[in-house]
Amino acid sequence: MSAPSQTYDVAVIGGGLVGASIAYGLAKGGTRVAVLDEGDIALRASRGNFALVWVQSKGMGMPEYAGWTVRGAGLWPQLAAMLKADTGLDLCLEQPGGFHLALSEAELEKRKGLLQRLHNQPRMHSYDYEIMDHSRVKAMLPEIGPQVVGASYCPLDGHVNSLRLFRALHTAMERAGVRYLPNHPAEQVAYEAGAFRVATPRGEVRAGKVVLAAGNGNARLGPMVGLDVPVRPQRGQVVVTERTQPFLRYPVVTVRQTDEGTVMLGDSVEEAGPDPTVGLPIVSSIADRAVRMFPRLGGLNVVRTWAALRVMTKDGFPIYDQSVSCPGAFVATCHSGVTLAATHAFVVAPAIAAGRLPAEEFEVFSARRFHVPAAA
Amino acid sequence: MTAQFPTSDTVSYDTKSDTKARDLPKAVDLAVVGAGPAGLAAATLAASAGLSVLLLDENAGPGGQVYRAITTSPLGEGRVLGPDYWSGAALAREMLASGATYVPGATVWSLSRELELGVSVGGQAHLVQARRVILATGALERPMPIPGWTLPGVMTAGGAQTLLKSSGLVPEGRIVLAGCGPLLWLLAAQYLEAGVRLEAILDTTARENWRAALPEAFGFLTSPYFRKGLALLRKVRAAVRIISGVTTLAAEGDESVTAVRYATAGGESGRIELDTLLLHQGVVPNVNLANAAGIPLVWDAEQLCFRPDVDAAGTSPVAGLAVAGDGAGIGGALGAAERGRLAALAAIAALKPGAPVLAQRPQVEAALHKALRGRAFLDRLYRPADGFRRPAPDTIACRCEEVTARQVTETVALGCAGPNQLKSFLRTGMGPCQGRMCGLTISELMAEAQGVTPAEIGYYRLRAPVKPISVAELASLPKDESAMKSVERG
Repeated sequence: MSAPSQTYDVAVIGGGLVGASIAYGLAKGGTRVAVLDEGDIALRASRGNFALVWVQSKGMGMPEYAGWTVRGAGLWPQLAAMLKADTGLDLCLEQPGGFHLALSEAELEKRKGLLQRLHNQPRMHSYDYEIMDHSRVKAMLPEIGPQVVGASYCPLDGHVNSLRLFRALHTAMERAGVRYLPNHPAEQVAYEAGAFRVATPRGEVRAGKVVLAAGNGNARLGPMVGLDVPVRPQRGQVVVTERTQPFLRYPVVTVRQTDEGTVMLGDSVEEAGPDPTVGLPIVSSIADRAVRMFPRLGGLNVVRTWAALRVMTKDGFPIYDQSVSCPGAFVATCHSGVTLAATHAFVVAPAIAAGRLPAEEFEVFSARRFHVPAAA
Repeated sequence: MTAQFPTSDTVSYDTKSDTKARDLPKAVDLAVVGAGPAGLAAATLAASAGLSVLLLDENAGPGGQVYRAITTSPLGEGRVLGPDYWSGAALAREMLASGATYVPGATVWSLSRELELGVSVGGQAHLVQARRVILATGALERPMPIPGWTLPGVMTAGGAQTLLKSSGLVPEGRIVLAGCGPLLWLLAAQYLEAGVRLEAILDTTARENWRAALPEAFGFLTSPYFRKGLALLRKVRAAVRIISGVTTLAAEGDESVTAVRYATAGGESGRIELDTLLLHQGVVPNVNLANAAGIPLVWDAEQLCFRPDVDAAGTSPVAGLAVAGDGAGIGGALGAAERGRLAALAAIAALKPGAPVLAQRPQVEAALHKALRGRAFLDRLYRPADGFRRPAPDTIACRCEEVTARQVTETVALGCAGPNQLKSFLRTGMGPCQGRMCGLTISELMAEAQGVTPAEIGYYRLRAPVKPISVAELASLPKDESAMKSVERG
């Protein structure tokens, strides 16, 4: 496939969930979009995710992020309906509420304290959550083991078939006229005379605006258009079992049963640098906790494990930013590409189409927050 | 299935007296995975040189696929399986006497770049650290995705041969063999020897293959396979209806297969009623463990398959890790044993430099050269036709997820770059077969749709566990404080 010669309104760099959600939103609004992506093998956070649409406990230290996440979860049914109408694909979105299970009194106390502090923050967008003891949890999740002492439950949580989301976004992008360009890794981005030129091994792509949605690749691309994007890879590993009959009606933050019947067990948080290989002590620990939560999991066969690299900032919150020196250059990066997919399509994309991220909504997510001197 | 043969006493091998799982050594000089000809020869030679050797194999007895059940087969040392089969008994005997620690029923599901093996024996998982590892994981049958290939009653010739060797079982009712390659004819001869009637053999060997193979004929004429091959073909041709030049095949049936339809290059077509259809079009390397351990795969344009990137001695880019036998590229059982010995010599040279046995290398290389004679002829003659490797649009390409060839090409049209991205779209390769029954089909279909070679498209990136392991087994492995901490969520 050779690079097309025409110019686009927007070039989105990155064809993962963040890039595809924004490109879909842009194209639905009538913008002419090209999505530049790497080839078959790349570090792809959005193919390795855990597929939760998750609210509880997010936003400690940045209450606006809690609000942003609640909004994202609220917009999700609309995204699922729209993608279904566009592609016929059912994303199996379920938002029955979700659990965080504690395997000791200490873990439960810690959990309780965290959620209290979270909701006591000034400007916090408060929402319902509940701390439950073993018997309360057992009533809703009958298969829990005796080591589960309790849980936090939040009715806003849910999950989705994230591979189908990925497929639906790509199918819908194509139908909405997005030009998807695989094997086009962005090597250079240049700003000249009010437009952008993206150099790839297969030729140059020109666009009036550019959106950096390249995950950890944004750290390298950002400075080319006057954006600082301090992100680092953080490894997460996931274990998947064979299919089994439905036994889990609610997603648990580290155990969820997919619509296909497999059970996903996850997911670790490791500062391992850019190494995406699977480590046995970690997957063993994942398996151990999962079996203590749901003893029946012990008898299931593992069919896959994988490691993927999250796109992580110093404070764990996303970066949405626009360039001052190269107007028309934007960056969107986060480690919750599933939870925030609807927000990216319905809130971020229209703002980019309009040419400006409104300060009242996005200022707090600017990377300038990392530039404040420590003593100030 | 019915047992056709009385059980007879054979070389007895008591699997109950084997090394128990709890006795697995924690560390060894050399771990060999697979007890087929390559693994048996490698383990025997390395142990005789004084290395501590652990030979792990998932079957109940030594022999691999080609010499399956060599110590336990109920067929006895008789004619049914032929003298080539029984030559495997010597390899097995030598290994059992070599001092190597042999663990049957052992499933190796993981191998790290640091050469730590994850092994399950009797439902218990273990970790073993090796200084060197030789993978001798052998070959798999190439998928043959014809319409109806997923119907009950359609199976592979290799699967049927496994039943014959290990249990003396043959399918009931009317049997038709279809495809190409030496194993198809060998199975036919073994069935005939056992008194089994075959309705027909539908030979898919393309006529033009003979022309392509001719320049390699001299090598074949001087190979150890020639005489035996010729005798075998004559015997089968004399006894079975052979339909040659078959270009299309379709299995028919609702609940299970009831007939096969075919057409030939000569314009002949027909339909044969049957109860069992046995398909085969050659074997390809079983690459899952090698690739999961970090060895890159390369496309072999002669053998039309991916194989691990190793040299003639099996040495891979991963330090200390070698691949021997058909798992490194198809060379047959005799060549596999020599390639096992070469890999063992490399391990001995690394761990015991100056060992007297290293002087054997020239003889092993000469034996390998002789064993591989005629291979190029067989590769070209039995090169499976394009239409049997890349199925028609409505035919299932991925059995586990029931994905058709059309779905694959439609997804390529969306811009899907390769088989690893295809997983995200269609879940191909994510089912229980882990790509073993679809990988080549998917890579070839995507390459054709994009107008590039399979080498450019690549193959699934494979990961541990390459064999099933239970969540409980995984949970029982050693783990440290930092690992436990990384999975606790605040």
